[in-house]
Amino acid sequence: MSNEVKDKPDSWWYPVYAGVILTLVVVIMLLWGFSRYFS
Amino acid sequence: MSWLDWAVVVGYLSFMIFDGIRMTKHSKSVQGYFLANKSLPWWAVGLSVMATQMSAITLVGTTGQAYSDGMRFIQFYFGLPIAMVIICVTVVKFFHNANVYTAYEYLEQRFDVRVRTLTSFFFVISRGLALGVVIAAPSIILSLVLGWNLIVTIFAIGLTTTVYTMFGGVQAVTWTDVKQMFVIFFGLAVCLIIIIGNFPDHVSLPDGLRLAGAVGKLNTVDFKVDFTETYTFWSGLIGGAFLALSYFGCDQSQVQRFLTARSVDEGRTSLLMSAFLKIPIQFVILLVGVMVFVFYQFQAPPIIFQNTGSVRAAAQTEQFKEVEARYNQAFERRKEDAVEFVESGTPESRAKFLESNKEFSAARSQAIGLVKSQIATEEKKDAKDVDFSDVNYVFPTFVLTYMPIGVVGLIIAAIFAAAMSTISAELNALATATTIDFYRRLVNPDASDKQYLLVGKFSTLFWGIFACIVAVYSSNLGSLIEVINRFGSFFYGSVLGVFALAFLFRRSTASGAFWGILCGMASIAFIHNFGVLADGSGMQSLIDAKPYFKIAFLWYNVVGCVVTVAAGLLISFAFPKKENEKITA
Repeated sequence: MSNEVKDKPDSWWYPVYAGVILTLVVVIMLLWGFSRYFS
Repeated sequence: MSWLDWAVVVGYLSFMIFDGIRMTKHSKSVQGYFLANKSLPWWAVGLSVMATQMSAITLVGTTGQAYSDGMRFIQFYFGLPIAMVIICVTVVKFFHNANVYTAYEYLEQRFDVRVRTLTSFFFVISRGLALGVVIAAPSIILSLVLGWNLIVTIFAIGLTTTVYTMFGGVQAVTWTDVKQMFVIFFGLAVCLIIIIGNFPDHVSLPDGLRLAGAVGKLNTVDFKVDFTETYTFWSGLIGGAFLALSYFGCDQSQVQRFLTARSVDEGRTSLLMSAFLKIPIQFVILLVGVMVFVFYQFQAPPIIFQNTGSVRAAAQTEQFKEVEARYNQAFERRKEDAVEFVESGTPESRAKFLESNKEFSAARSQAIGLVKSQIATEEKKDAKDVDFSDVNYVFPTFVLTYMPIGVVGLIIAAIFAAAMSTISAELNALATATTIDFYRRLVNPDASDKQYLLVGKFSTLFWGIFACIVAVYSSNLGSLIEVINRFGSFFYGSVLGVFALAFLFRRSTASGAFWGILCGMASIAFIHNFGVLADGSGMQSLIDAKPYFKIAFLWYNVVGCVVTVAAGLLISFAFPKKENEKITA
């Protein structure tokens, strides 16, 4: 078994992680808005 | 079930066994059998991560929970994306570069063999028992709803999965998971479309959502600060993050998923797939339950969804018949008021609908109370000590009664798929831990690859049979989805604490980690059993004990982790490492 794929540097992933957290905030806001609209 | 439904279910089961067993050719070495030679693409690993976490309990239990309690449960997953980011930053690279088969193998590199063995032991015991409940849940429900023999159903689900996992190893687990996720998605989508399509002509989807929203079924974010409330924004974000960190980062059944990825990047991508998709998928599953609730505004639901001997006995009494008559009248009133609310939308019609829904719910609660009294009489105990809930039977009963021929088979296949995807991953993880952490490390370190492979296969068979036996005995455990999470919360926090000591605190020692985890578990047992010990009534089982110090079980993960880390650090500083202890990380 050999791993010929060269991994990206850790710093490449930081914007991706930020995107995940931002998406979480947006999703929670959408859920809250959904609940408020229909309740 | 019709012949077409049977054909769909049997066809699905046969294809899964065939597909799993043909993976045997890729699993002829230990690396191939346990880690797929680290060759799997991120999307297959990502789907397998989600399939492993989504058992039949998720599908059946959460739809039922949404029907009765609404969508609050979605908050349970708020911490998951945060946990995935933390795991991507830390654990994925550590484990990949450490060239380990199990997460606990890494603990020996960092601490010593005691810590590795203890943690792996807790994993195999907790996971082995939980696996029994994972098999029991769909078996109990399907056997009751479809009239199948319970033990035959348990062994049908448990042993078919054991067979293809035993022969195909982790390749079989992953590639069957991929297909099973498609069966689940397709089944859910068809189900949702048909439910909404069966609303009365004058009721649209927004109308249905308004009806559900009026009675609080669509509340998804609760900012209340209340440690006794199970599902709030805070328990989900914080407690849920700790649980997800422990489960996805430290539990072998999930760690093994990303260890099979081609690279660190692909491992990270597979986890981030869950980070983006888990909450939307859970929303859809909960929405199915809410749509069933809306459907039952216009079609009379059964007064009790579960049809056991006790329920039938209770239904024969005069008292129950009176309650049932009141229930039927309350349903008709609620239906009229629902139609009026949909058509006019005025605050008065909304108030009227809420009032009649309250009456309807009260009649159902009374019926449930009578069933509990019946069970109490049969089992010679107090009615208040009887734990009865028919929540898990709502969705299967609805499917069998209202879904068209063929779709019933598809949904049953989806339930099987959800169960089998979880069972296979957990069986493979149990076999890996047993073979690598116990047999290879402690019993026979110099055996050949062929021998370890054989031990791996026999371990899979052993755990499969063990779990089926546990399943036979675990049928009386109330709300199964909460049982699974309660089991986990005793162990997960403390295991996470050990890994936190390993990754974050370079000065933590092997003794600190070893005694830290024991302190963590003792603290959870103390919190959970305090009331029992305080009033001197003697030790009860951890499942039955009523805690004096009441906090929701999600917070147990935080407590277990914090106590483990604190105790571990205290002991590490009090008894610093000796010269020959390693501090690699």
